[in-house]
Amino acid sequence: MRLKSNSYTNGRLWGWNPPLKSSYDAVIIGGGLHGLATAYFLARQQKMSNVAVIEKRYIGFGGSGRNTAIVRANQRTQENIPLYKEALDMWPVLTRELDFNLMFYNCGNLNLAHSEAALKAMRLQVASAQFQGVQSHLLDPKGCKKLIPALDISDRPRYPIYGGMYHPPGGIVRHDAVVWGLAKGAAKLGIHIHQGTEVTGIGVRNKKIVSVQTDKGKIYTPRVLNAAGGYSAALSYEMLGIKLPISVLTIQAMVTQPLKPLLHHVVSSGAYHCYANQTLKGEIATGSHMDPWPNYTNQSTARYIKHQAEAMTELLPCLRGVKFMRIWGGLADMTPDMAPVIDGNNIITGYYMDCGWGYFGFKSCLVTGKYMAKFMADGICPGILKPFALRRFEQHRLMGETAAVVNYSPDN
Amino acid sequence: MAFTIVCPVCGIRRSYEFRFGGEDKGPRPEEDTLTPATWCEYVHLNNCVAGIQKEWWFHRDGCGSWFTIYRDTTINQQVENSIDETNP
Amino acid sequence: MKRIHKLPTFRIHPEQSLTVNFGKKQCRGVEGDTIATALYANDVRIFGRSLKYHRPRGLYSLDGECSNTLVAVDGVPNVRAENTPAVNGMTVNAQNVFGATPEFDMMRFMDELSWIMPAGFYYQTLHKPARIWPLAIKHIRKAAGLGVLEPDFRMKGKFDEVHISTDVCVIGGGPAGMCAALSAAQQGLRVVLLENRPWLGGAFEYRPSEYRNGLALYQRAKDLSKDVENTTNIRTFKNTAMIGSYNNGLVTAFQRGSKSEVFTERYMEIRAKSTVVATGCIERPLLFENNERPGVMQIGCAHRLARTWGLLPGKKAVFSIGHDLGIEAAIDLADLGLNIVAVADIRKDSYDSNLAEELEKRNIPFLSGWVATRAHGAKTVKAATISTINATRHRKFTCDTVVASAGMTPVTGPFTVAGGKLRYDKHTGFFLPYNMPPRMHIAGRILGLDDPLSIETSGRVAGLKAVSECGIPVKNLLRETQENLAKLTGPSRGTKLVSGPIKGKEAFICFDEDCTLKNIDQAMHKGFDVPELIKRFTSAGTGPGQGGIPGHNLPLYIAETGESPDRNPRPTTVRPPLVPTYLATYAGTNHDMSKRTPLHETQKAAGGRMERIGVWNRARRFSSDKNAENEIDNVRRNVGLLDASTLGKFRIFGPDALKALQRVYVGDMSKVRGDKVKYSAMCNEDGCLIDDGIVVKIGENDYYMTASTGRAGQTIEWIRYHTRYDGWKYHMVNLTDAYGVINMAGPDARKVLEKVTDADVSNQAFPFAGYREFSIQDVPVRAMRLGFVGELSYELHVPSSYMQSVWDLLENTGKAFGIQKFGLEAQNTLRMEKGHVIIGSESEQRTTLHDLGLGFLWYRNKPEAKTVGAFALKDTEHQKGRLKLVGFKMRDPKSRVPRDGSPIVDTRIRGYVCTARYSTAQKQPVGMALVDDYLSPVGTLIKIYEDGCRGNLMLAKIEPMPFYDPEGKRMRS
Repeated sequence: MRLKSNSYTNGRLWGWNPPLKSSYDAVIIGGGLHGLATAYFLARQQKMSNVAVIEKRYIGFGGSGRNTAIVRANQRTQENIPLYKEALDMWPVLTRELDFNLMFYNCGNLNLAHSEAALKAMRLQVASAQFQGVQSHLLDPKGCKKLIPALDISDRPRYPIYGGMYHPPGGIVRHDAVVWGLAKGAAKLGIHIHQGTEVTGIGVRNKKIVSVQTDKGKIYTPRVLNAAGGYSAALSYEMLGIKLPISVLTIQAMVTQPLKPLLHHVVSSGAYHCYANQTLKGEIATGSHMDPWPNYTNQSTARYIKHQAEAMTELLPCLRGVKFMRIWGGLADMTPDMAPVIDGNNIITGYYMDCGWGYFGFKSCLVTGKYMAKFMADGICPGILKPFALRRFEQHRLMGETAAVVNYSPDN
Repeated sequence: MAFTIVCPVCGIRRSYEFRFGGEDKGPRPEEDTLTPATWCEYVHLNNCVAGIQKEWWFHRDGCGSWFTIYRDTTINQQVENSIDETNP
Repeated sequence: MKRIHKLPTFRIHPEQSLTVNFGKKQCRGVEGDTIATALYANDVRIFGRSLKYHRPRGLYSLDGECSNTLVAVDGVPNVRAENTPAVNGMTVNAQNVFGATPEFDMMRFMDELSWIMPAGFYYQTLHKPARIWPLAIKHIRKAAGLGVLEPDFRMKGKFDEVHISTDVCVIGGGPAGMCAALSAAQQGLRVVLLENRPWLGGAFEYRPSEYRNGLALYQRAKDLSKDVENTTNIRTFKNTAMIGSYNNGLVTAFQRGSKSEVFTERYMEIRAKSTVVATGCIERPLLFENNERPGVMQIGCAHRLARTWGLLPGKKAVFSIGHDLGIEAAIDLADLGLNIVAVADIRKDSYDSNLAEELEKRNIPFLSGWVATRAHGAKTVKAATISTINATRHRKFTCDTVVASAGMTPVTGPFTVAGGKLRYDKHTGFFLPYNMPPRMHIAGRILGLDDPLSIETSGRVAGLKAVSECGIPVKNLLRETQENLAKLTGPSRGTKLVSGPIKGKEAFICFDEDCTLKNIDQAMHKGFDVPELIKRFTSAGTGPGQGGIPGHNLPLYIAETGESPDRNPRPTTVRPPLVPTYLATYAGTNHDMSKRTPLHETQKAAGGRMERIGVWNRARRFSSDKNAENEIDNVRRNVGLLDASTLGKFRIFGPDALKALQRVYVGDMSKVRGDKVKYSAMCNEDGCLIDDGIVVKIGENDYYMTASTGRAGQTIEWIRYHTRYDGWKYHMVNLTDAYGVINMAGPDARKVLEKVTDADVSNQAFPFAGYREFSIQDVPVRAMRLGFVGELSYELHVPSSYMQSVWDLLENTGKAFGIQKFGLEAQNTLRMEKGHVIIGSESEQRTTLHDLGLGFLWYRNKPEAKTVGAFALKDTEHQKGRLKLVGFKMRDPKSRVPRDGSPIVDTRIRGYVCTARYSTAQKQPVGMALVDDYLSPVGTLIKIYEDGCRGNLMLAKIEPMPFYDPEGKRMRS
């Protein structure tokens, strides 16, 4: 019961819901970050704007809105570093281009080592970064404490801090802003974003994509991108019979009540399986490892919020005095080597895949969208994306992004 | 989540006592008959069913047996077998 | 302020006083006060300032729905004053205040500037020009956040945890919950009852209205509580907040310890066969301009302040309500001495006319169809305007209190977090479940019931449903009770109105995030048209009140606008913890489980630097020398002792044991003998090395085997996994903890061993790779000759209980030969000189057996075994473009040792240094590296890029391995 005020000056960010046309030059399944970024770059750089983004729920419903929004470029392998380096450089550029503040907070990332072996692994990462022109350096425990005064660098914790790896160009971004900014940018360039629309089938004739069936109608198209995140593997198998080396697991994140500035950098620890940052709102957002069984529930578990409290208070004992406010889960499409599956236009002509991102879907979205758009426009995979081809698994050439064997598959 | 699993030896136990052992893909194929593609399918590729699937679990903090259950991945709970296995 | 004279509903002891310091103000309270009531009794009305606009905030509800009363207590930020007991001498400070007291805040001008900050202000404005954003961040961070936590703060108190299993868990100790608990307990079941308040009784507990036959509701609550507490199979946990519920009946909660308890807080996990949710209702806030000004409070807050703590909410009050509880409270508060100038009721009808008459008897104007539209007063309420719903008439009253509430709304979080789905119900105006999670039932006011008998009967029904799920046949009793319930008064009609006729510029739908109705309009105008998106864009509902204030108003308001494509209003997702919970509480007793070898204490006492390696604690070295040069030297020259007890040790036996070994080991295990160890490796399906160890035959179909330390926890699982379809008959026993292992290595090792055993341990009788069983002073020992460190070496597997004795004996006997302990660091260098790999150090996930030069271990002629990894080994045997393990020396032998992990580069990264150490034997640095195969031939020059080298590369040359005793003479001697 309100008296309406009509004092608005600006309009809807991504316009009114467009009509579903009967044909598009490309259909992107999934209105998350990768799908929207690809759509945006298709229109902006490849001059393809007759493109539909089909989203079953609302844009940013999946992993895009459920991650801890950490960005960095200190990956382990040389196939990955250039990709993430370029990605990092894109946040300010896109903020300007989209005229939407993505709120890139360049606070730097500190990654802690709790053993000699971890320090050795960090040396490889730090030197690889430096070799490729990415800022990163090692710190001793005192250096870590200087950055994060709340750290306990004594011998008390079960895994004492041996040192750390500091990566100044990293930071955090407001994940929702990226979703909305890209949607705004894409819609402005003519991309149709169809929310609340479900893909029910993909039409293939003579090993070529011909159409996409949705609950709102059929779309003729020669190109389809599977960017459905956690649902991409099921979609690929159910609709096209293409199995992927993916396990869909729930990853959880949580926030504390808001505090005045306490953590000035992103801090993470492999031994404790956690990473944390303080958002601009003051909440300490922290993520943990994942439940090791596939599921599609997005549910959180009692175990991980407890685990997280145990781990965080070991690392940062002052946090015993703050309260967790909420925990949520999101789906992560994990591959055996923790690198994505980017492929297309080979098994079925016109079928493209951008999935298997697991932990890394957020930080990679802009750069992948850019090259994926090129891939879809040319039909030829750009060099920077080639190492992520699906065939690497049958050729026994797993990516070295994780040094150790991953722990969620039975195969270790 | 934090669901329970009925172990054939130990009865109803918390899922965190167990280790997930993958989708049920059938017995190991004969080594001589494999191609890179069939090998990869057996070893790495998954159906990723959103629904009920038959899968392996190991009772790590218990009796140490491997066994299969049916689980609905959309609610993350063990369910009675309702897959028609004669007609997969 | 004077308290009301003793009431039968009091929870305070006015004769026992206490003092609480609020900033510089000393507040006198009484035993039983919360922090909030103690401050309120001392006329504190402003508890703190709001997040964005620094608006004054005060006591609004008493159950933690908003951050209004969050204060800092003794250094702990964000303590909820309204349900934290006051303790004599505690120091309480207001939060988010820039200034001496919350009365005067230097940031209060922010409120005047709110118009320039529409919803999404940061997204749309603060990046132009780009350079202002980094500056803006600094200010945003400083302004954001509520409490202050010092980096060196240490939380005091004891934090515990309990894990309970029960038949029925009842959440909520009001009348419905108590009746549910009693019904289940009467059938002999075990019941756990959780109640957030310090007492049972729920919505009956403080009310003097009639239950029936002249009995007051509060008296009925007391009677029921007594029954519950006298029932031995009900375990009642008061002061206990339920925070989560999960699949298969898992409920989490935490309990605040009272003075008599040994814990400050304790975390609880309750696994129940069936759960009853009887969490009742909270009030749905009424939205009007300045609806959060101190002096505005909810009905229950005003009523309970008086009834429980003896405090009248103010002197002169206006009521604007939408539920009979509001009229009831007005009557009672008027009788207790509150001057009520008007009671506005949103409802035009459907109110209890008897109650309205009671108001008239007291000369209190009852204005049906009227609603508050504005509270006046800069810091606290000075007056209120009420209007008719169609905005045709307005009246302004001077007052210091506005008791306001739009109606009731059910507390649905306990079942929505477990997957329950809500739908709007037109009759009650509630969001009610249309899909309850399995084995979960609801009862009481949550269903919209107001009649006391209906509330109790619905509790009994839910209790009996739970009983039948626990396998007790109560079909008839359940049907009878359900029939009784059907005869009683059903759910009341409720209102879905969110606000009166207002503009909404200062009508706050979310207090915590300073979000107004106008902000919601702005978000919708931007295209955010479903509640979840509006929540994300405006932050409404994401503050410390966990959505308690906007929770059900937000979807109702959005539905009211008619602009959402979602025709069914739905609240946004509620997430655990339903009540904010200290990390200290979740951490509980903070489990730290790790294993120690039988020699742990003596290793430590001897100066061993212990490190956590996986689940184990191990000694890295015994001196401050990081390179452990003395230890290395002594093994090479004399003899050393290493505690290797962490090695995995297994017995595998049975008719099919050999088949299982053939499946998982790459070698031909049919060659395993009784007097000789066989060294072999396990690969995963990708042909990558995951474990190595020895196997020896100790009897017919009976084998003893070792696994590496890191792998031991998974060995049984692994072997059983890869034979799970085969139905083979074999059994495995994990002997890892049953045997300790001593590695005695060095040229004098035999001399020591000879002195402690009668067995013939000469090189002829016990050669390299031999396996023997003998006694060392009556202790049976399994001995094997291995050469991991490259010297004459015995691995002695000793029953754990004798480890210390045997170790001491060897150490004492070895004194004459200069025996010394050595640790992992020395072992690492010794084995590296010998070219032996450590999995994970010289290999990564993608490193195959071939890559490590260990392809010879693979026996390819057993395809019938379906060896794990064999297919990939075949496929990758000659594959190009892989990283290969090589040895290297520095081009300049005087160079320092390159650091582990340093990349090897040319124009690209071509590999990395795995381990490099100074070799005393070679008198120069040596190392192992994984490099691109084209760099692997001996003699190739490689360039090492160390971190911080700024392009100054170190040069090295590929060298054959091993670097030490290449013919293996020493370990065979």
